[in-house]
Amino acid sequence: MSAVSGFFASIGQAVLNLLRTFGGACLLLGRVIRSLFPPRFDVHETWRQLYHVGVRSAPIVAVTALFVGAIMVLQSAYFVKRTGATSLLGYGVGFTVFAEVGPILIGLMFSGRVGANNTAELGTMVVTEQVDALRALAIDPLRYLIVPRFIAMMLMLTLLMVLGDLFAIAGAALTSDALLGVDWRVLVANLIESKLLDELVMGVVKATTFGVAISCISCYFGLSVTGGALGVGRATNNSVVANATAIFMLDFVVGWIYSL
Amino acid sequence: MTSAASRVLAGVGRPVVGAWREARGLAGLFLDTFVAVARGRVRGREVVHQMYLVGNKSVPFVAITLAVLGLISVFQVATQIKQVIPDFTMLGAAFMQMMVREFAPTITGLMVATRVGSGIAAEIGSMVVTEQVDALRMSNADPVEYLLVPRTIAAAVMMLMLTIVGIICATIAGMLIARSGFDVSFKTFLNFQLLDAGDLALGGTKALAYGLAIPVIAGRAGLTARGGSAGVGRATTQAVVATSFAVIVLDFVISGVSYVVFGQ
Repeated sequence: MSAVSGFFASIGQAVLNLLRTFGGACLLLGRVIRSLFPPRFDVHETWRQLYHVGVRSAPIVAVTALFVGAIMVLQSAYFVKRTGATSLLGYGVGFTVFAEVGPILIGLMFSGRVGANNTAELGTMVVTEQVDALRALAIDPLRYLIVPRFIAMMLMLTLLMVLGDLFAIAGAALTSDALLGVDWRVLVANLIESKLLDELVMGVVKATTFGVAISCISCYFGLSVTGGALGVGRATNNSVVANATAIFMLDFVVGWIYSL
Repeated sequence: MTSAASRVLAGVGRPVVGAWREARGLAGLFLDTFVAVARGRVRGREVVHQMYLVGNKSVPFVAITLAVLGLISVFQVATQIKQVIPDFTMLGAAFMQMMVREFAPTITGLMVATRVGSGIAAEIGSMVVTEQVDALRMSNADPVEYLLVPRTIAAAVMMLMLTIVGIICATIAGMLIARSGFDVSFKTFLNFQLLDAGDLALGGTKALAYGLAIPVIAGRAGLTARGGSAGVGRATTQAVVATSFAVIVLDFVISGVSYVVFGQ
């Protein structure tokens, strides 16, 4: 009996934790949106965050995207070889990279680099009482810390996605030329013929929603840290797990809305 | 030499030197771990405990994310097929093959990198900054043997298991949406005819490779943590990025070798 009740208790606990995170992140999002109309946030700090979040993440996103393009070419090549339809290579790569695999993998890398870093940074500020110090100086942590990060992540993940798509095509072209013996011009021409603008736009919209989710979730976990260095590590761990789950959920929701 | 030129050279050289140093450190740690395993310095109880933490505790996370992945893939592909020829007979077979070859191992690997990689870095990093690792060394316990070996064995075994769980969850989710959204019966969807031994070997190799790489890379991030709670946070972030990146690079390398060498 106790095993059964323990099982149900663990399910209930998991659901409660999920709801608490979801609620906390949504409340934070509401407060952020309210402080955007009329705009009340630290502009200088926003520029700094744009640089930290965007420019500093560009190399890792570019390299990840190169590999994503290369992997998708290799996987498509297997199917293309069996069916003999070389002309579908560009379409296969473009569709999977623009619509699905690109946003998910770049979103996950961004969540790892920026989301985790954000939770760790805010968490460290909380446990070393720097956030309380801000309040004591009559500086609203929301306007000074949270809103600049929200703007930076939303804007920069959108832009990084466009950059990522470009590098993914480059990776695909290089791999098809070097490993498959399909001339890169054939692949690119085929990609352009496929008219994948809808998929490209959908991917970029997905990236924007991921940016919103990652900023709210990582800030929520960062601000609710308790208990020293151990607490910061644990919060960072929980934050990346929640971000990854949110990315997959949102990916499905956006894809579904687009198909209506 | 002008200062501008030397600045450019320094800007190029610093990341290269850093990457080289990082690669050497990682290779050393891999070697230490494998030597310890080869010598049989493995504590069985700790391995089982880590298997529980790495494997069982990741099941809900992996199950949810892979189920959503299954939903997304079937939904997207079926929507595309519908526009060309409304023939869904090979939908399930192609889905299974892509899952086993590519998406199930790699996405499970990324999820384990995220959950377990950051967990290992946070745990070992906290031990380093609170000087518990120094205490281990002082009592003549090798930190690699004591901390890294059980985690590596556990992650390698559990990555394979979690990939299987992931494939099952993705297939069930895909099956349900194919039936409710596109009127494909369960029987038509559950089609294993494209799947051969090569696909299983490729998927298994990927899962195993990720399982071996993740704990060692995350462990190195944790062991090199410096400076209080900020250091632990930095180590955790670094671990997530490095392990996720390692999964993507390994995916490319294994797929490339298998395509070029075995034509798979």
